[in-house]
Formats: sequence, C-alpha cells, structure tokens
Amino acid sequence: MTPEISTREKAPLTQGEKTLSNLLLLFENAIKIPLFRCQRCGECILSSTAFICSQRCPKQLRNGPCGGTGEDGSCEVYPARTCVWYRIYYRSQLLGRIDLLYKYNRIHNWCLDKTSSWLNVLRKRIEPPIPFTRHDKQAVE
Amino acid sequence: MTLRTKIESGKFIVCAEIEPPKSSNGDVIRRKAGQLDGIVDAVNLTDNQTAIVHLSSIAAAKILLEEGLEPIMQMTCRDRNRLGIQSDLLGAAALGIHNVLCLTGDHQKFGDQPEAKGVFDLDSIQLVAMVDQLNKGRLLSGQEMKQATGFLIGAAANPFAKPFEMRLIRLHKKIQAGARFIQTQPVFDLPLFTRWMERVVDQGLHENCAILAGVMPIRTAKTIEYMRLNVSGIKINEDHIRRLNSSSDPESEGVSIAVETINTLKEIKGLRGIHLMPARWLDSVPVIVREAGLKSIN
Repeated sequence: MTPEISTREKAPLTQGEKTLSNLLLLFENAIKIPLFRCQRCGECILSSTAFICSQRCPKQLRNGPCGGTGEDGSCEVYPARTCVWYRIYYRSQLLGRIDLLYKYNRIHNWCLDKTSSWLNVLRKRIEPPIPFTRHDKQAVE
Repeated sequence: MTLRTKIESGKFIVCAEIEPPKSSNGDVIRRKAGQLDGIVDAVNLTDNQTAIVHLSSIAAAKILLEEGLEPIMQMTCRDRNRLGIQSDLLGAAALGIHNVLCLTGDHQKFGDQPEAKGVFDLDSIQLVAMVDQLNKGRLLSGQEMKQATGFLIGAAANPFAKPFEMRLIRLHKKIQAGARFIQTQPVFDLPLFTRWMERVVDQGLHENCAILAGVMPIRTAKTIEYMRLNVSGIKINEDHIRRLNSSSDPESEGVSIAVETINTLKEIKGLRGIHLMPARWLDSVPVIVREAGLKSIN
C-alpha cells in the first residue's frame, strides 16, 4: 500500500471536539504564534522544519524553497524578508536535523485551517510526513 | 521515437521552449513550431510564464502535436487548485499530450496582475507525486480510474539559488516523488553547475532521472539586464555582458557564447541533454543546434 500523498479529510469534528479544539487553540496560539510565527494551518510540520513555520512563505511551500531565493537568502516576493526555507535549512543544520528535510510533507487539508493541530494529532486527523529514502540509501526516520 | 523512449535509450536530448502568444492567435505557435521542426526532440510550452496571461499550455501543446512535434506541457500550481490541475491533466492526456513539466510557478506579484489570488494549493513536489498517482490509475481522492494516464513526469531545478545543499534535497525529493527528467534554470555559472552535477552524480541522482541543463542564448546586454530584473532564479555572468557590449555583431557573439556553454556542458559526466530557453529569440535555436553539433531528431 503506497502512502497517501495528501491529508484526507476524516469525519467532521463533533460538537464536543469543536469545543475542545477551540479551547486547545487558545493555548496553541498563545505559544506558537509568538514563538514560531505560526500561521495556524492546523497541520503542523514545525517538528520537521527546525521549528520555523514554513507557512509564512508567500507560496506556502511545505517541501522546501522555490527557485527564487536570493544570493543573500532574501525572499524574492518580499525582498526585505529572509526566505523561510533558507532559515529552515541553516537552523536544521545547526540542530542536526537535515535528515528531516528529506521527508515529503503531504498536500494540505484545508478543512483543518484554523483548527487545533494538537487536537488533530490526538484524533489522528493528521499523520507525520512520509519518510523518503535518502540518496545514500540510509532510511530517514 | 517519443521523448520517453529517447530518454530510456540514453540518447542526448535537446529541448527548446516556446512561449504561447498573449492572444488567441494559434498561428503564432504553428509558425514557431515550423522553426523547430526537425531540430529538437521536444518543445516546452510555458504555462502563463512570469505570471502573465498567455494562451494555455494545453491548447498550445495540442497545436504542436498537430504540427507533428512532441510537446512538453508545463503545469504550474499558481493558477489552479488540485481539482483544476487533475482535470486539466486528464484532458491533456485525452488530447495525446504525454509529457508534463511540474512547476510551482512564479508568484503573481511578478506579473501584470499582482491583484490576483495565487492558489499554490500544491507545490511542485506534491504535483509530481500527484501526477505519479494518476499514472498509477488513482485520482487524488483515492478513486480508481478506468484508464490511467501515462505521463512522463518532468520537474525543474535551480542549482544556482541558495542554499546549495537544499537544492540537492529538493532534487532528491522530486525524483523520489516520480520525476523522470529535470530541466535546470539557465546555466551562466559553469563552475557552480559543474560542482552541482558532481554532487548529483555522487549521490546517484542521475541514474533514474535525465538531467537536462538549461541554456539561454542572449543577444544584447539589455536582455541580460531585463532577465536580471524580471526573471526569478537567474544568475548572470558579467563576462557575457562585457563580450556582448564590445562585439560588433552581438547576435553572432550571443550564439558563440551559447555554443561554448553547450560544448562545455556536453563534457560533464551524468548530463543527459540540453534545454534551450531562447527568450524571444527563437531564430537562434536552429543555428545553435547546428553549430554545437547537437544532431537531434530520431
């Protein structure tokens, strides 16, 4: 069975889950927005992006930078900003987390937008990124 | 012979790029196709390049098929969501278009309608994975199709953008997702490209995927200036500007620069072909192919 390349929508949230989601979201936002500039996609991949939110990218890329990163690491769309994926790469290097950049992040489920990522993990509405085998054939876990 | 069989047989591939017109005039494509007939193995049809409206790449690819050339339809994620892309891909397959180049697409800010909403529902790697799934007979919803598509999947790479290592990771992901050929951004910085190819070969990334180097013939220093300001992900060689400015015949100097670049590229281990990107100078393609000794067709 090949893994799903997109995050599929499971059954809709029950009323109880919605209440819990909103409650959790209060805490989640209070932590993630100031710390990681979280964009509240509800399908958090911070753990594989060296704790920098990739969704600040103007193209909301989830699998690495586009071809427009400047010589100085600037974003081509907003040149005053640094490309988020440029920062993710160098921080991953610093933290020894380069392996995680090889993972495939699934096509986003927009039904999860502005919901609690923590609840979505708990309720198994989102799954971890797909590990791709590295070029040196060593499995990335 | 199709592009797929040529790639599988290990032939040195030559591609070129046509911009569809900014109008409904299909004759422009027929005329351009005539210039490339018998010269190149396949022709890219750009998809609203630089985020400016052009005739659609699907329609342009169909016209090219009618003219007897092999199209590579470019497909970006800027203008359609997953539903639109899948339906366009199925339509293209039904029209007999079997090569697709998967791109994220330039941001709409760079076009003439920056007011537009960019879609970016998928990124290029996810698009590659999705086309691969269609080839296996499944829609993204998981629904089985009665007839699978048979796309040869291509993707792009920019060896010249920072960070260098991240570009290799991206290439790796594209290949694992299903890309079978790669067209790079135009090569102006040969030493950097050579270094990149060394890494590609070290990691064995060239084994299951044909790497085609982008070459952009340029005839005036003004074009270079335009590219620098308006086209993303392009690195310019100052030496070329100097040569074009001091030459009495810049056109032939432009051809010489492109031919020299190709001759150097041909020596690089692991490289499987050339992708010519003659921005508004299609006349140069037959000349360059001849002078660089790239005997193409069949």
